[in-house]
Amino acid sequence: MSQRLVKTQREMEGRFEDVWALVDDEDELETWPEGTELAVVGRPATRQDGPVRASGVARYTVDVALPGMLVARVLRAPTARCRARLDLEAARSVTGVRAVLGPEGPFTMTGDPVLTAEPAWAGQPIAAVAADTPEAAAAGLAALAPEYEAVPPLALEAGLEEQRFTEEPNEKLRGDPDAALADAEARVELTCETPAHVQTPLEPHAAVAAWEGDALTVWVSTQGIFDARKELAKRFGLETEQVRVLAEFIGGGFGGKQGAGPEALLAAELARATGRPVRLVLTRHEDQVVGGRRAWTRQTVTLGARRDGTLTAVELAAVVDMGAAGMVFPVAEPAFSLYACPNVRTMTFPVRTSLRAQNAFRAPGVVEGVTVLEQAMDELAVALDLDPLELRRMNHVDRDQATDMPYSSKRLLACYDRAAELAGWSTRDELRTARADGLLRGMGCATQIWWGGGGPPAHANVRIDASGRALVTTGIQDIGTGTLTTARIVAAEELGLPLERVAVRGGDTGPNVYAPVSGGSMTTPAVMPAVRSAAGKARKTLLGLAADVLEISADDLTIANGRIKSKDGALDVEVTEVTEKLGNATIDGSGTRGPNPEGFRVNTFGCQIAQVAVDTGTGVVTVERVVAVHDVGRIVNPLTAASQVEGGVIQGVGYALAEELLVDPTTGIPVNGHLDDYKMPTIVDVPEIVVDFVDLPDENLPNLGSKGLGEPPIVPTAAAIANAFAHATGRRTDALPLTPARVLEALA
Amino acid sequence: MTTYARPATIDEALELLAEDGAAPMGGGTDLAGQIDRGIRGPSTVVDLGATGLDGLERDGDVLRVGAAVTLARLATAPELEPYAAVRTAASLAASPLLRNVGTVAGNLCQHTRCWYYRGEEWHCWLGGGDTCYAQIGDHRKHSLAPGDCISAHPSDLAPALAACGATVEVRSRDEARELPLLDLYRSPTDDNRSLVVLEQGELVAAIRLPPPPEASAYERVGERAAFSFPLVSVAAARRDDDVRLVAAGIANVPHELDPSDPLAGLPGNPQTAWKRTLLATLAERALAAVR
Amino acid sequence: MTLVLEVNGERHALEVEPTRRLLAVLREDLALTGAKLGCGEGACGACAVLLDGIPVVSCLLPVGAVAGRAVTTIEGLGERAAAVQEAFVAEDALQCGFCTPGQVVSATALLEVTENPTRDEIHAAMSGNLCRCGTYPKIERAILRVAGRAVA
Repeated sequence: MSQRLVKTQREMEGRFEDVWALVDDEDELETWPEGTELAVVGRPATRQDGPVRASGVARYTVDVALPGMLVARVLRAPTARCRARLDLEAARSVTGVRAVLGPEGPFTMTGDPVLTAEPAWAGQPIAAVAADTPEAAAAGLAALAPEYEAVPPLALEAGLEEQRFTEEPNEKLRGDPDAALADAEARVELTCETPAHVQTPLEPHAAVAAWEGDALTVWVSTQGIFDARKELAKRFGLETEQVRVLAEFIGGGFGGKQGAGPEALLAAELARATGRPVRLVLTRHEDQVVGGRRAWTRQTVTLGARRDGTLTAVELAAVVDMGAAGMVFPVAEPAFSLYACPNVRTMTFPVRTSLRAQNAFRAPGVVEGVTVLEQAMDELAVALDLDPLELRRMNHVDRDQATDMPYSSKRLLACYDRAAELAGWSTRDELRTARADGLLRGMGCATQIWWGGGGPPAHANVRIDASGRALVTTGIQDIGTGTLTTARIVAAEELGLPLERVAVRGGDTGPNVYAPVSGGSMTTPAVMPAVRSAAGKARKTLLGLAADVLEISADDLTIANGRIKSKDGALDVEVTEVTEKLGNATIDGSGTRGPNPEGFRVNTFGCQIAQVAVDTGTGVVTVERVVAVHDVGRIVNPLTAASQVEGGVIQGVGYALAEELLVDPTTGIPVNGHLDDYKMPTIVDVPEIVVDFVDLPDENLPNLGSKGLGEPPIVPTAAAIANAFAHATGRRTDALPLTPARVLEALA
Repeated sequence: MTTYARPATIDEALELLAEDGAAPMGGGTDLAGQIDRGIRGPSTVVDLGATGLDGLERDGDVLRVGAAVTLARLATAPELEPYAAVRTAASLAASPLLRNVGTVAGNLCQHTRCWYYRGEEWHCWLGGGDTCYAQIGDHRKHSLAPGDCISAHPSDLAPALAACGATVEVRSRDEARELPLLDLYRSPTDDNRSLVVLEQGELVAAIRLPPPPEASAYERVGERAAFSFPLVSVAAARRDDDVRLVAAGIANVPHELDPSDPLAGLPGNPQTAWKRTLLATLAERALAAVR
Repeated sequence: MTLVLEVNGERHALEVEPTRRLLAVLREDLALTGAKLGCGEGACGACAVLLDGIPVVSCLLPVGAVAGRAVTTIEGLGERAAAVQEAFVAEDALQCGFCTPGQVVSATALLEVTENPTRDEIHAAMSGNLCRCGTYPKIERAILRVAGRAVA
């Protein structure tokens, strides 16, 4: 028997948990060795669903329209804190309104009520309405005639003073940083604020729910269809088989669309109450205020070092604006892990305020931590008159210092070298020579770290039919990363079929083939090995059948490019020669993701170098060029991998230059919860982006040797830009983003 | 429920606009946003699109730009080439998709972008309430001049047209008048919170540009490289030795600067002091460009 | 009120309030869901359509204003957009794809007016179409590709 249940560790966003995983020894496959000539893996491939997205035919949750479908709207707290009184009956009697849910329900769903009469944060849901038309829904909301008694908001600085925390401040310690700092030959201290950063997916949070008896079907713009299914089943007292979650096309997530979300819960509740399908779509303003955000932080980093640049102490005090609650993300991780240092102390103060709880946005915590730590490193380089890249090389470490485990692979030094070469790092001081345009130029670098190993469970099925085509079934919800195409490539490689003969589906819990959430850069390292294993089994079966048909031993046969050949070359036939004999039967292979390798930490690394031009008269900073070199193990699809990097860098540019969610001090409400005042980059703001990878398989990761890429590219960008700004001007701002206001103040 | 009318002539439009609660619509890009956010609730929207207000023609030595000429047309029409500041302003305002719909008069008469004024959650002084939330809150992007309202004027076209000496034809059912462009604007007062002098029933019918200046320029800085309201902008136009300098983003309304002392009367405050530096830079660059 | 709209070459007589937004009519009444509601404020361009051949945002336009004018959505661009769509796919100028219909509308309109746009012209024409996934460098490549310019 080849299937076993094993205990293994899986990782997400740096959190490790032990899980039981069903593994199949038959699924174990060797990584293709370095230098193997592969047919499709490692070659650029366009997206399987590209044409459908480009033609406007792709149907996102917001496009789903069912017969008799109602429109839902939510009444939300207009101020940060208040007590609300509603006229539910008046709303119920509005023409076209079919159901009204107040804070007391009535609810079918169990557990934490989504609605409340005493909202704690701006935008918190108070009531929900389902109506025939958007106009009737709006009228229903208005008819609730809410009366509010405002309660003063909880501000950040007051919260810090009063020690109002969402959980106990966390201290982490290694060695004796006090002693080390006292003895340090060089010491720098830097304080910087990093902004609240809103995911702003272009498709807002949305859900459509429809009941048929006790069976619930939900379309939801989510990054986790199986998480959504579990949540909905639990809340509505259903078996998981009674819930089907669909997310074939998702208009961006970036961390902010987890599970079912209040949208799917409310839509399902209203659909239950009315007996009709219900669609709930957030307005853009709602999405900006309640969709989530990367938390604002204020961090003070103190570095101690020897005169030669060897780090001896790192201290971090991080104040985090948590909003109402939420997970404290690993803002301290870079201090502990980015560089070799025996003495580290971090204190994280998670302050409770009157905003919606902060949530995950692409590499949560680590972006914030790297943004400040890397600026401090550059200050140290200046203090010691050392090249900033050289300082980083000197403090390189091959092991995860928290566990003393080696990294499964770490090619950071190669990333530094390659980035330096591509950026022209050795001539960067020449940038500071004045040019005719009067702008000040500079170049800065930053190191990237993140996790990238994923883990079980993850499954895949591969089915080959008489036509010689393969259908791969996964639970992947492709949020724009192109992971369905990655799976297509891996399956095609293992099967020996051309890409056009392989199709991959996902985005549907119906087939019950599990994949984890599209988050934590997990999908490639978690799901692709399962896909490869499934394909491997199907190929084996196919060759066995070919042996029957062709009357030659299976050991003497190979498949490549859709043709079955004998190893001596005498036999060479189309795959269909064999598969047509299947008739209505199919060849099926199922694969499971094996356990994570023990004794390693699986992390990704990289280096980005930015070049900026600063107009000192106006405070405008232009990012002219970003070089991004990352080590994420084997690259399966260089086309979509480069797109991930460009996308992360552009989000990092926005974080560094213009994006910040600002809160009105009087009412605790965000002042810029609209796209006219929350400024994301346009095509004109984009620097030249040069992308490269240290594209070598991680030999300690079985099967594929690939680590996750979704999050790494956003991690170091803002730090590199801030460092380039300092190189250009000799100044730093005490907060990001580098708006004209802050730049002019810093240069004054 | 708002009524919608699309009259076929300007006279019909003026008749409709004479009714209380009727509002004129050019491209509708600002009006739509105001309606959605509860800033205005007109009883009738009078769409001027079919009234022929989109003419661009010579009237003696005056260039007459109809109120409904789009920003896109203004940015590319050859007649506007000698008015460099106006061309630049028109090409940098908003986004290409909005410029194809937005009109000259709409851009001039647009309401302020102050995030308290525009935010559904606040009923601020300018909007008829009691409190200027900006002054007690986050006013980092606001006016350099003190006042009951500290919102900043958002129009790109206003300073450029004003510097070039434009006048405005204002019409109502019973009257027609012509004003220097800067006189289209007023400071809001307790009894009248409007930032333009237009009364119910009045609309901007056309902009009239005198012969072009010898040189003109428009300098602006937004919050990103494109598609942003100006944080500060300055238009300069020189006729012989006479230079006019007009700025947006630093007062409630477009503000004429003294070329020899551009920051006069614009003290700013701790949150907005940076705008003084920016204003000084842009004024200097605009002046240098027309020297 | 009955309004006659010409959308993608077809005339539709619709019972609609003229103040209702064009985007809502397209998506809900005509089931043309290619144009997206990304913000409803004219700030993102995901709702872009052609109005008499000119690219505009449709989320702010009252449908009454477009009666009697030709509206073309992504679904109706047909052959005119085929080269652009192919280039977008080939250059990977799309990720989640939500902004893509609007991008294709703007890009198609640009190329019909300027066969061989410069980078600056591309930037100017496309600056009203936001992409949160960050496909901008590849959108530029795709447009240059259609214009027949080899990209390094």
